[in-house]
Amino acid sequence: MGKAVLVNQKDNVVTAVSDAEKGEDIIYRVGSETRQIKAIEAIPYGHKVALAKIAKGSDIIKYGEIIGRAKSDIELGAWVHTHNTDETYTPSR
Amino acid sequence: MKFMGYVRPDGRVGTRNHVGVIATVGCVNEIVLSICHQIKGTVPVTHTQGCLTVTSDLEMVQRTLINLSKNPNLAAVLLVSLGCESVFPSEIRDEIARSKKPVELINVHQLGGSIKTIAYGCELAEQMVLDASEIQRREFDASNLVVGCKCGSSDATSGLSSNLVVGEAADTLVREGGTFLFGEVCDIMGSEQILAWRAADRETGQKIIDAVNSLIDMAEAIGADVVGCQLTEGNKKGGLTTVAEKAIGATAKAGSTKPQGFVNYGDVPSGKGLWVIPTPGRGFENLTGLAAAGAVVHLFTTGLGALEGHPIMPVIKITGNINTWNKLNTHMDFNVSSIIDGTETVEEAGERLFDKILKVASGKLTKAEILRYDESMNILTYGPVI
Repeated sequence: MGKAVLVNQKDNVVTAVSDAEKGEDIIYRVGSETRQIKAIEAIPYGHKVALAKIAKGSDIIKYGEIIGRAKSDIELGAWVHTHNTDETYTPSR
Repeated sequence: MKFMGYVRPDGRVGTRNHVGVIATVGCVNEIVLSICHQIKGTVPVTHTQGCLTVTSDLEMVQRTLINLSKNPNLAAVLLVSLGCESVFPSEIRDEIARSKKPVELINVHQLGGSIKTIAYGCELAEQMVLDASEIQRREFDASNLVVGCKCGSSDATSGLSSNLVVGEAADTLVREGGTFLFGEVCDIMGSEQILAWRAADRETGQKIIDAVNSLIDMAEAIGADVVGCQLTEGNKKGGLTTVAEKAIGATAKAGSTKPQGFVNYGDVPSGKGLWVIPTPGRGFENLTGLAAAGAVVHLFTTGLGALEGHPIMPVIKITGNINTWNKLNTHMDFNVSSIIDGTETVEEAGERLFDKILKVASGKLTKAEILRYDESMNILTYGPVI
């Protein structure tokens, strides 16, 4: 069983705090409740897992804020990283 | 909520009662260190500045030296001058004296070299420490506290635990009427719009944006892309996907209150609440900038184990990485790996941290103080060394 941390209840990703194998269940806490999600691919320690299906062009939310945008459809339980996420930040100059 | 502190003649409240021995220029660092190694109760303020930089930087260094000296953790100040530096030691002394803090200025050229300056400096410092030792701690409201923060040697646990816990303690301090200082312009980069949007007024928000843009411009002027290199290969390997994700995780230390104002490096906020100061991320200059702004306790989050303290402020090392807590326990003060385990909430750990802040403010020592891992520091400059 893998472990992950949900930072904010608005988030659509959790961050793994142990390595998870493909097919492994990952548990995370929401308030006093414990939930779980199945990793559909290997998730390394410190990396993010999608808590919902995230359609191409949709926001990736962590800390309750937009941290990036999906550059392809991301399945529930998939690894969320640079291969499927675009940077949204540009300096406001 | 209360703590036991030392009130200074200007009304500000310190958490330590040191005598500061302060170099007005880097060329006298050896003398400052000799005096401090000899006289118990003193702390050395050394750096590489004070000479041969552009005028705007010299002004910033002078302002920083004045406000570091006025930090209420110092009961008295002994300034050590070489005699030919580009900052103005007598102006620094006069500004400190205006706050009614005991201050002396000694000059190496006038006294005839390092041996005589060390001897005379030790005599003056001995008397200052003797006088300071009569000052007693008294009970004060937490609204008198000024607390700074920084993250360093971060890892995946930093943005998930320790930075959030510091943000929680920051919110508590602001709610109690205290002052919380956030620096690290490089860390704001990527979340500056969020922080600026939240600011109490438009001017503060614009200054936050400008500080980030100015860092980008300075890097561009020497052909460097500071945005492009913000997310390192190590960061990506560790699981950070975007500049925004890194920035929001780091800016979490500032908590959720509105930034009330922005002051330049070396200056002191004119009010309470959350203030932003454009310090770099690097510890040497970051800690000094926040100490000059009046921080009397500093919260330093670290995943892998940063070691540095600061001569003027107790620095509380906070880690969410259980391996770092165990392996580097002689350097770590506060463990929040419980959040990673899921056995404690951020709110609970924040409450525990606030209690720790009050204890340290009241005299409980930090590991960096006990280990004397607190001498290295510097003062920020922007322009060339000439």
